Amino acid sequence: MPTAPSGDILFDQAACALLLTAADGVILKANSMACTWLGYAEEELVGKLRMQDLLPVGARLFYHTHCQPILQVQGSVAEIQVDLRNKRQERIPVLINISRRQEADGMLDHWALFKASDRRAYERELLAARKTAEAALDARRSAEEALKKLNAQLSAADRRKDEFLATLSHELRNPLAPMRSALDILKLKFGQGTDNRLLQAFDRQLRHMTRLVDDLMEVSRITQGRMQLQRAPVELSALVQGAAHDLAATMEAARHTLRVSIAEPPVIVDGDATRLAQVVINLLTNAAKYTPDGGTIELCLSCDDGTAEISVRDNGIGLPASALATVFDMFSQLEPALERSKGGLGIGLALVRGIVQLHGGSVHADSPGPGLGSTFTMRLPLAAGSVCAPAPVPASSGAAPSQLRVLVVDDNEDAGETLAMTLELYGFDVKTASTAARALDMLPGFAPAVALLDIGLPDMNGYELARRVRALPLGAGITLIATTGWGQQKDRERAFAAGFDHHLTKPIDFDLLRSYLPR
Amino acid sequence: MSNVQRRNNVRLAGNGPATMVFAHGFGCDQTMWRFLTPAYEDRFRTIAFDLVGSGGSDLSAYDRDKYGTLHGYADDLLEIVDAFATGPVIFVGHSVSTMIGMLATIKAPEKFLAQVMVGPSPCYINDGDYVGGFSREDIDELLETMDANYLGWSSSLAPAIMGVPDRPELRAELTESFCRNDPEIAKHFARVTFLSDYRADVPRSTVPALILQCSDDLVAPRQVGDFLHRHLPNSVLHVIENVGHCPHMSAPTESSRAIDNFLAHALR
Repeated sequence: MPTAPSGDILFDQAACALLLTAADGVILKANSMACTWLGYAEEELVGKLRMQDLLPVGARLFYHTHCQPILQVQGSVAEIQVDLRNKRQERIPVLINISRRQEADGMLDHWALFKASDRRAYERELLAARKTAEAALDARRSAEEALKKLNAQLSAADRRKDEFLATLSHELRNPLAPMRSALDILKLKFGQGTDNRLLQAFDRQLRHMTRLVDDLMEVSRITQGRMQLQRAPVELSALVQGAAHDLAATMEAARHTLRVSIAEPPVIVDGDATRLAQVVINLLTNAAKYTPDGGTIELCLSCDDGTAEISVRDNGIGLPASALATVFDMFSQLEPALERSKGGLGIGLALVRGIVQLHGGSVHADSPGPGLGSTFTMRLPLAAGSVCAPAPVPASSGAAPSQLRVLVVDDNEDAGETLAMTLELYGFDVKTASTAARALDMLPGFAPAVALLDIGLPDMNGYELARRVRALPLGAGITLIATTGWGQQKDRERAFAAGFDHHLTKPIDFDLLRSYLPR
Repeated sequence: MSNVQRRNNVRLAGNGPATMVFAHGFGCDQTMWRFLTPAYEDRFRTIAFDLVGSGGSDLSAYDRDKYGTLHGYADDLLEIVDAFATGPVIFVGHSVSTMIGMLATIKAPEKFLAQVMVGPSPCYINDGDYVGGFSREDIDELLETMDANYLGWSSSLAPAIMGVPDRPELRAELTESFCRNDPEIAKHFARVTFLSDYRADVPRSTVPALILQCSDDLVAPRQVGDFLHRHLPNSVLHVIENVGHCPHMSAPTESSRAIDNFLAHALR
């Protein structure tokens, strides 16, 4: 059994570097391992160097700010991982433990150094891995930050755009009012007799511009949440019919056929009648605009399950699938430059969507593709407590055939108009005449399927008019209905003799009237 | 316990007509004042506290933006003074805290009677004619060294605390927590400390100052003390014969003697 070495040999031949220093770091003693690792002879170290001198700058700073205070308070530090510089200025990674002891002649620090190259290499790898992970995290964080910032900038830009549009439309509107007044005066002063085409052009363009500015103003009201609806129960059958009526001239100018199919009244929604009419007119105007001349446009109001649905279908230029989602966005029309030939700001549909959404409804566009027409459909919730009218029984009354043309002849214009309006509500295409001569003039162009003739007309009586109608080439096919205050049997016989198919006594019973109309 | 007290682990002791506030330096906590404060507790109210992120402070209060400059710490110091000081205030700061105190005296000079700067440095990095003692690379190396050491500390490999039989005044709970700060915070704090440059603020602090400079201090070389003395309008420079950066620990008697002399002068 070998004998244990003595204290000095144990110190000198220990398997680690051992040094003894004063509290200020001056080396007092170093074992042979320390001398070997550091590359100095013991006499080059002792009394000549301080441990701090062997530390690179970063480690020295760490020693002063961290190890020294710990030593002073705690009396020891352990597992300090630093590099030492040897005599050749090479770095040696070491793990240091220091313990401070009070000796007779002052404080002494006992240093034990262990080589830690492998451990250091491994820890460096760990650190590098952590740094990579942290860098990746930082990159993601800053990307998210950038995205957030960009988002905020976009929102701010969008808000500024809305504010700008509101200001712009307001400012553009101001000069329009005096221009309108001035133009009206010019028309009064110079519009009579002379060639006033310039004034008319002026008038048309001013109207156009006013409409654009109004649209702009309303759309900016909507985006800024400042549009107020004047809500009341609105009957959509009449509203939709009215819109079709308003667009008749436009449709005619482009030789479009407008087919109208309207649900039985009443279809009541809680809404702003002016705004809703604006929406329907807007959709119809669009359909007329984006359908080549001579097209077919169908306007349909239906009512189902608590919802009113208004659709406008055309066989016009259609929409690519990519545009369906964005067609209601503001300025979406501006995207394809080619389409700008049609003019407009591209805010009409944005306005439509805005208004419909304010009513709690929805609107969407469909198209099988470019050139294949489009359908715009809006849905509005029916007013609380309102239900759809029951579907009419075809055998008794029959749904109004779309666009059945009816001529109403009555010298009492109010009577004729109200009758016409009522018929329009049922979806008929109605024209009125207040004299027999006017009626005869209109017949060939209008070609009605049905004519309602008053008997007491100023220029000839209704019987005579009926005979003349029957004498016309298209007269034989017309359903002629006499409307009169006289209901005696002899009056009826006289009517039938004159060629009338039916005889109605005023006030007219509409159910009876509708039973006479062709289906 | 008030919010400020919990946040900064504020400890009060002593009694007197004036208050001494002690702020520790980088890498440690208020325990480092334990050799110095007893000399004042019979004459002053004393306040010691931990900078947020260090020692027993509320780590959840550490806000990288607020403490991204020393101004965040200076604001905390002013709150501590408002909440706990009575009478005139003498601020005693070590190392980085000397600049925290200096910023506080610029913000609210009326709150302070005097400031004692132990091992101060307004800028650690050499810059033209200015000698701070370090290059940018040196500081990077320090941060790397901290990285290497905190890797071990933050794990269960933390060194076992050895008994200190010949220093019975140290209680175990103190030794266990001393200088064992959260690694992430310590690294950020190191960056904020060693990359700071408050040279431009130095002339704006008019509160009487004692610059306690060690004769051999690697962290704050003599030239830094001279620079401060030249630019602090109302300053006294006193050099303590001491190796290292912590004279209040390694030479507490000499340190308190220098402070007493200064105070006798300043309080006159």
